[in-house]
Amino acid sequence: MISNYIGFYALSFGLIISVLIIIKSIFFLKKNNEDKSKNFFSLLSSQFTLIIISFFSLIYSFVNSDFSNNTVFNHSHTTKPLFYKISGTWGNHEGSLLLWLLVLTFFILIFFLKSRNLKLSYRVFTIFFQQIIIFGFILFIIFTSNPFGILYPIPEQGLGLNPILQDPLLAIHPPILYIGYVGTSIIFSSSLAALVTRSMNQVWAKHIKKWIFASWIFLTLGIMLGSIWAYYELGWGGFWFWDPVENVSLMPWFCLTALIHTISVLEKRNMLQSWTFMLSIMTFSLSMSGTFLVRSGILNSIHTFANDPSRGLFILVFLFVLILLSIFIFFTYYENIKIRKIQFLFISKETSILLNNWFLMYFLSVVLIGTVYPIFLEAFTNEKISVGEPFYQKLITPFMVPFLILMALAPNIKWIKNKIEKLNIKILTLFIINLFLSFYIVKLTNTKYLFATLLITSAFFLFLISLRDVLNTNSLMSQRISHFAFSIFILSILFNSIFTKEFNSNMSVGDEMKFFNGTIKFLKINIYEENNYQNIKGTFKFKNSRNNNIYFEPEIRIYNQPNISTSEADIKTNLFTDNILNFNLINDKEYFSVRYQYKPLMFWVWISTFFIAFGGALTFIRKK
Amino acid sequence: MKINKYFLILILFFLSQFTFVYGANKAELVDEISKNLRCLICQGQSIYDSNSDFAESMKILILRKISEGKNKKEIYEFLKSKYGDWIVYEPTFNKHTYFLWLLPLILFIFGGILILKKTLKVK
Repeated sequence: MISNYIGFYALSFGLIISVLIIIKSIFFLKKNNEDKSKNFFSLLSSQFTLIIISFFSLIYSFVNSDFSNNTVFNHSHTTKPLFYKISGTWGNHEGSLLLWLLVLTFFILIFFLKSRNLKLSYRVFTIFFQQIIIFGFILFIIFTSNPFGILYPIPEQGLGLNPILQDPLLAIHPPILYIGYVGTSIIFSSSLAALVTRSMNQVWAKHIKKWIFASWIFLTLGIMLGSIWAYYELGWGGFWFWDPVENVSLMPWFCLTALIHTISVLEKRNMLQSWTFMLSIMTFSLSMSGTFLVRSGILNSIHTFANDPSRGLFILVFLFVLILLSIFIFFTYYENIKIRKIQFLFISKETSILLNNWFLMYFLSVVLIGTVYPIFLEAFTNEKISVGEPFYQKLITPFMVPFLILMALAPNIKWIKNKIEKLNIKILTLFIINLFLSFYIVKLTNTKYLFATLLITSAFFLFLISLRDVLNTNSLMSQRISHFAFSIFILSILFNSIFTKEFNSNMSVGDEMKFFNGTIKFLKINIYEENNYQNIKGTFKFKNSRNNNIYFEPEIRIYNQPNISTSEADIKTNLFTDNILNFNLINDKEYFSVRYQYKPLMFWVWISTFFIAFGGALTFIRKK
Repeated sequence: MKINKYFLILILFFLSQFTFVYGANKAELVDEISKNLRCLICQGQSIYDSNSDFAESMKILILRKISEGKNKKEIYEFLKSKYGDWIVYEPTFNKHTYFLWLLPLILFIFGGILILKKTLKVK
């Protein structure tokens, strides 16, 4: 009970401090008083402390199952294990926003401490813009999504957490993803500040690069964790469904990836300032609108767990204000950017980075249009359409071929200019050998498309060239590892989709089924009563063509609170293949529907994504 | 010229090697079609992936249509007329979706022109 009040008042004081900082920074910037930066530190750190207090009091309410708290009542239950009581804090709309806010205040504090070598006016402007965001967020939380709503009389029992969210991965997936999202807010504020204070130069690029990389690493890992969760929890054997909520996390990722490349042009050559600025604004807007799209409930998605139009409207208006503000600032201070009339030579690293951005922006536009178009179409014409995998495949995959080839060749092009060497016979031969190799792979597996050949060829091409680069060079290791890992990522996905096999059947206990590479026998079921669910565990024996036995023990969990059943697939992972088996209840029937899937290289999809991010992390370790 | 000849041979070789696989059996066709259909009563699941009553009866319906000799396109058209465009994951290309399909490509071309302008400027 008392923790409700503590949490709420801490949050409200956080709002007051936000106003104080905004006023203070305006006064400061008018007088340009250089030695009062200490006050900012104490204000920022006390704001951070208040939000921590607020956040922990919510955790405290969850841990103690304090059902006088509205959020706890709606999303928790006494029989839930402690771990999920804690992670349930951010497994819901209100709590997850509080986590957003916590990261926001933490980041601006870190920013302030880590930017000492830069102009004070630039730092204060960044704080100013960041506090506008923080101010908006606290208002949003207090007025539309207060996590500390009080219920009276106090209910005996809570409503429970959606069982598919009761998962260890889902406990860490949102915080990691949010760190990535919120990191983009610093990039946003700092770009605005840099433009206003004329400090958009090489020094700034070097400094903001770290934030770009950090956000990108967390976003990459966050998306990966979400996919892993979808892969094993939803039990369909896929890991990416082009679901709107997944798309929404992918969009800022495209932007950040473009930014990672562009910022190095600014750092090394002092060019592309306005493009960098626009990318920064776009990245943050996409992170914000992601929150808008997910929270507003206008998306039809498995992830949408809060439907409230007023929330969506608030975020939409807020986002609109921020975008208008940045457009206004861009046009007012445009002259602060020194436009250097420099020729881009067609074959140079600068141009190759522009080409990289070109493709990434195209991928972004496909995903963005594919995600929001149906919403607008329905609003204006009442036509309801679905935009799913076939759309994205048709528009994205053909462009992957030149993209991958470019990705292989471009890293070795030099800055400013590069002479066109005589057509490199080695590389050409390599490419042709690849073509043959891929062609036979495609032919052997009876894949129908000529296109698959080209795609595999270019992926192999990237693989070999980037492997050579990883082995041969000491410099730019981070970039080379990321590119190399990306080639493995693409190859794994391709081979996974080509070689995946599935078998579906209805079976009851004792049945035996033969299919493409073995037999499955349904041995038995056992029913256990767990703390907050009933567990139906099936045992299946799978015998493959080489007479190896695999025992699968998939589960069906029937949760008591709320009453939902989930199917837990049993996934046997090894280095090269995943064998998955899951089974489901069929209404009013004696038998179960059983699904066996053979999925090669899944492990490599995950490990390569990890190494893509790891490559980025190397930039923090290696310093000259 | 030598290189051209070489490539021509290569291309001919590829074309000669391609045999297209047709006539997948009925069950495979049901799977293929149901993967591209939305389960209308589920949240973000395809009919293939769902075990709901709706999905099960749709699979039976699709199988019946195949047995009647309908091809993929006819089945999609039939379902669209019955349940609306919402049911297919691949949006149809019509007056409602011109922008959906073409806008990304237009943006791509536009971006390409911008880059060309920037790089091919004469000093």
